[in-house]
Amino acid sequence: MTQTHHPLDDTLIAFASGTLDEARHFVIAAHLHSCAKCRQTVAMLHEVGGALLESANPAELSVGALDRALAKIEPQVKDNQQRSAGVSDTATSLDETLLQDLLSAPGKGPWNWVAPGVHVRSLLRPAGKGARVFLLKAAPGLGLPNHTHTGTELTLVLQGAFSHAAGRFSPGDLDDADETDEHTPLVEPGQSCICLVAMDGQLKLRGLLGLVMQPFVRI
Amino acid sequence: MYRSSPVPDDSSAGRDTNWVLHRPSAAATMAPCLKIARGWLMPEPSPQQPPTDTSDLILAVAGQDRAAFAELFKRFAPRIKTMLMRGGLDAARAEEIAQEALLTIWRKAGKFDPAGASASAWIYTIARNLRIDAARRDQRRSRLLEAVGREPLDTEISAIDSVSSAETGSRVRNAMRTLSLEQFQVVTLSFLEGKAHPDIAESLGLPLGTVKSRLRLAMTHLRKSLEDLA
Repeated sequence: MTQTHHPLDDTLIAFASGTLDEARHFVIAAHLHSCAKCRQTVAMLHEVGGALLESANPAELSVGALDRALAKIEPQVKDNQQRSAGVSDTATSLDETLLQDLLSAPGKGPWNWVAPGVHVRSLLRPAGKGARVFLLKAAPGLGLPNHTHTGTELTLVLQGAFSHAAGRFSPGDLDDADETDEHTPLVEPGQSCICLVAMDGQLKLRGLLGLVMQPFVRI
Repeated sequence: MYRSSPVPDDSSAGRDTNWVLHRPSAAATMAPCLKIARGWLMPEPSPQQPPTDTSDLILAVAGQDRAAFAELFKRFAPRIKTMLMRGGLDAARAEEIAQEALLTIWRKAGKFDPAGASASAWIYTIARNLRIDAARRDQRRSRLLEAVGREPLDTEISAIDSVSSAETGSRVRNAMRTLSLEQFQVVTLSFLEGKAHPDIAESLGLPLGTVKSRLRLAMTHLRKSLEDLA
């Protein structure tokens, strides 16, 4: 699959340096699964991180730091071998297992109805501040309310397609909208469009679906 | 130290961190950056003769070589500690996570592919993941969802296979020299200090848009020099 819409460079930098919040990090990781071009860019950025790490001034370690590490390394290897069997199914939050599920079967619910033609499946709702992650399923042919972006939204298409002024977004495409963008998305006929969305739920929601999302906030 | 760098050993790195934290003016934040920039911009001592290549050390560690582990520890634990302290962790916590990073290297050394990412990039991602984990653990204490012992989400990034990793490292360092000081500064704040872009904007007293456009310009330069890597 070849994508035409990618994360902005500053978003990839934040991803590679580990400074994106969990929600956006997850959505970008999902994009990377299908986008070789961005994987290469991230690999290049890891090299930048490695070069900076190498050039950092060494801090002083506490006395005996190396000895303490050496004392730990053998038991840890054994420990690791014992654990490796069942380690993957402890997942309860945003992780690789969930990501694989979403990518292989995006339509699998449970879905919550939020508006005519629109369903949502919440994946992460931070208690405090921070972006939330959810799947959004919009019916074929649905026109969405005109909205502007607050600069805090990432939308990755998993199934179907939608279009707005910036172009057509099909599976693997990521809409990394800038605060200045103004969009009126239209879902293509034929198939429901399912998107993975990271977005700030703090402010008045004006992100993808603006108006439609308001009921979701109250869920 | 493995690299006869023109930058002197600086045991006051901890004080630097506090200094930046308490006086977040543009000048203060620029200072440690300049220190690094000096390392970059000065000609490298040639010929550079590290005793053993870092990737060879990791391969030896994969074969349970404790001496190689000790050497890796000496090279990277103090630098990872610096990186974490610059990101705002206190010395004790930073050292704890640096220890964890080296132990992770010991466990994962078998997964290191010398034909892929360079050794330092591989180590960087390990330290970065632990930093993300630590931050999230703190964040999550109050949350119901507590995923115990799970791996941080990290898509396996494909190898840069056209160039050897040693060559990659020196090419990246050269490419970094093409950045303006302003661009270098925001890249450093992002990668080394792990500051989110809005925090970078705040500490430099710049609009977020300016920070983003500097980062994008930096990327344009890096892409130009490292086109085949990206």
